[in-house]
Amino acid sequence: MLRWKYSRPLLGLLLLVLAIAPLFTNNPLGKPGLQQTMAVAFVWGALALTYDLLFGFTGLLSFGHALYFATGVYVSCILINHDVVSWWLAALIAIAVSAILAFLVGSASLRTTGITFAMVTLAFGEAGHVIVNRNFFNLTGGENGIALNADNVPQIWIGVFNTKNIYWLALAALVFTYAVIWWVTESSAGKVFSALRDNEQRVQVLGLNTQHFKLLAFVISAALAAMLGFVMLIAAGSAAPRFAESGVTIALLLMVVIGGAVTRWGAVLGGIFYSFASTRMQDLTQQESFKSIPKWIGGPIAEPALLLGLIFILIVMFSPGGLSGAYYRLRLKALTNKSS
Amino acid sequence: MNALSVKDLHVKINESHILHGVTFEVPTNKVTALLGRNGVGKSTTLRTIMGFYEGSGSVELNGNQILGKQTHKIVQAGVAFVPEDREVFASLTVKENLSLAARGKNNDAAYKAIYDLFPELDTRAAQQAGSLSGGQQQMVAIARALLNKNEILLVDEPTKGLAPKLVTEVADVLAEVAKTTTMLLVEQNLALVKRVAQHVIVMDQGRVVYQGGPENLHNDAWVHQMLGVSGGHK
Amino acid sequence: MDTFILIGITGIGLGALYFLVASGLSLIYGLMGVLNFAHGSFLTVGAFVGYWLATKLGPETSMTDFIFAMIVGGLAAGAFALLMEQLLITRLYERHIDQALVTVGVSLVVGAVLAGWFGNDLRMFPTPLWFLTAINVGGAMIPADRVVYIATAVLLLIGNWILLKYTRIGLVIRAGVENRNMVNALGINVRRAFSTVFFLGGFAAGVGGVLVSVYSNGVSPLIAGSYLIYGFIVVVIGGMGSVPGSFLAAMMIGVIRQFANYYVTGLGDFVVVILLAGVLLIRPQGLLGKVRA
Repeated sequence: MLRWKYSRPLLGLLLLVLAIAPLFTNNPLGKPGLQQTMAVAFVWGALALTYDLLFGFTGLLSFGHALYFATGVYVSCILINHDVVSWWLAALIAIAVSAILAFLVGSASLRTTGITFAMVTLAFGEAGHVIVNRNFFNLTGGENGIALNADNVPQIWIGVFNTKNIYWLALAALVFTYAVIWWVTESSAGKVFSALRDNEQRVQVLGLNTQHFKLLAFVISAALAAMLGFVMLIAAGSAAPRFAESGVTIALLLMVVIGGAVTRWGAVLGGIFYSFASTRMQDLTQQESFKSIPKWIGGPIAEPALLLGLIFILIVMFSPGGLSGAYYRLRLKALTNKSS
Repeated sequence: MNALSVKDLHVKINESHILHGVTFEVPTNKVTALLGRNGVGKSTTLRTIMGFYEGSGSVELNGNQILGKQTHKIVQAGVAFVPEDREVFASLTVKENLSLAARGKNNDAAYKAIYDLFPELDTRAAQQAGSLSGGQQQMVAIARALLNKNEILLVDEPTKGLAPKLVTEVADVLAEVAKTTTMLLVEQNLALVKRVAQHVIVMDQGRVVYQGGPENLHNDAWVHQMLGVSGGHK
Repeated sequence: MDTFILIGITGIGLGALYFLVASGLSLIYGLMGVLNFAHGSFLTVGAFVGYWLATKLGPETSMTDFIFAMIVGGLAAGAFALLMEQLLITRLYERHIDQALVTVGVSLVVGAVLAGWFGNDLRMFPTPLWFLTAINVGGAMIPADRVVYIATAVLLLIGNWILLKYTRIGLVIRAGVENRNMVNALGINVRRAFSTVFFLGGFAAGVGGVLVSVYSNGVSPLIAGSYLIYGFIVVVIGGMGSVPGSFLAAMMIGVIRQFANYYVTGLGDFVVVILLAGVLLIRPQGLLGKVRA
């Protein structure tokens, strides 16, 4: 039993603590500052998990995942701002649009595999970035993005004192995403995904249409990403082109690899850790003690990409299973040592 | 000393244990045929000698251990390979395929010998190898193995997929080459084997089950039992 | 008519820049199967080294100064590429996905280091005054720098052709793109060809980086990103492993993009992506691509 028997109960306990803590003001999670940071971290954790479905489970290295996330953000924002439909319908429409987009893009892209597929998804992702940046049809607000019209959104999410509601929304979205992905990967379709990652030919020989399964994984992860886009919109209060950058997908890739591509909790952990670390590092560089470091060291260190990139390289070279992979390896060692 | 000495070779490929302690000798300046039904591990054995697969045990070329060495170093030590499916470079010309293989500086004599054996390669020197027929590609594959001084020639099913007339041509060439080179030949075509082999190894299920002279090849019952085919099979 | 010529030639000029980025990518992927995300870093390293040298060579940049800076930038980028290959790529032999991932890591680290040292602001690349003049071609006034890009790209294409067709290492590379294992089976250390290809790819990218900086009116760590993406698109459309394919595709894409942008600003990028999708649907291996073994 590679899984430690206490791990699930402990995780449940952790979840409970995370859910309850904001109710009380005497702990760190009682403050709006940390609540906001953690809400964003939860969204990234869930987003990393959706990317993990593609890359870790099905073996599809996509460089254009940001497209679907950004679609969720922008479509929701535009519909809400223009008062076209109520907020929850806007979110659902955004998810549908993203799913359809994924279906179309996926059908074209999945005609290629491996590295070519990566390049192609990168191109489509960039197309999305260009569209929001250039303010096509005057809808997307160009480089500055669009601010969310707070009047058209339930007031429970507006205002500093309601940050904990945003926190809970994000936490709920994370749990929901985890549940959906858990269900998908444990289902028979999910088993096919893993088989696809390991050996596509063997799956084809079984008479299964691998293309359909890949497309399914692609669409599911895009739909979930769009839902998370809506949540991010509420958390950030605006839609911005940075959500559509290839840098987002690259960040997701880092999160998943650092956390551990084949495990679900590894991806979530990687996402939360990455988001949290980036935010904290920005704060760190503002401190006085930091400013005293010579510029040729301090300059690069201030960039989150440096540390994360180095960790990433080390993990790829020496521990490809990421942190969760290392955890399971140590556990295996501990178990086999115990029995011998 | 034997040209090639393989002892207790174990090879695993993707969790499948293919070779189970293969042991045999390849005597110098003779043609040794490596026979067996499909899937017993003949190609795997050749490819392991070439360094494509990792294994445990010992492979000695004229007394020097080559198991575990990198492929290109093994080839430089004097092992030439004519692979199953020929694997000529389709986008290169015939001449380029040959010059790629030539390692030494002064190859004129070697080239002349090649063109004597395969006059067509001279006439078709500028032709793209991809447009050659199967038989012509086989000529290229054999020729490039002969361009250098080799200790041993590993030949994997050279007549596979060739029309009967071409099989005879290839057999003629191999018989000629065999006069001056040590060869380890994997071949299903028994007529060819009977013609050139002076030593026979039979494999079954990843093990060597017979090592000895070629006299048994004429015994149909033996052939049928060992290889599951009838003796006169083309 | 002269507008047509102007857009056409500036499109070719842009295509030349794309080609400089793409040629190295194409060979590296074709021969080694490595999707090199650090290629953008090669561009930036070349640009910064070239910039540093050009500024050192005095306030006035002559044509020789510029060419010298460009070549040194290329060599620096090539050396950096070789270093990355020896330290990281060789240790991940045949682990292609991991190799691609490691190059992502390198691109992040290099980007962070350069941004940390120099900031993200644009610094003007010292160029010969001649670049600012315009040349009359059939009634259209073409900015002189475009001619430099096209000339460099053509030189690179010719140099690449000579290398591949007439040298031994070129023969090894061509054979290796087709069948790596068989080259080894002929007693040739194919890995030495890998290192050569990485160096040459880095050199081309470095030179490209210098020229891109001139075109973009400044050196900055941020510029490489979009050119890298275009490099990938060119490689896919042209065909992996085919340098002439990249040249063809780069020219096509440069011209199409310029024309599209002329009629509707911003349409160019979009059209290129549609073109990519189209090529993939009709001919997935690209225009002149060899299907990877």
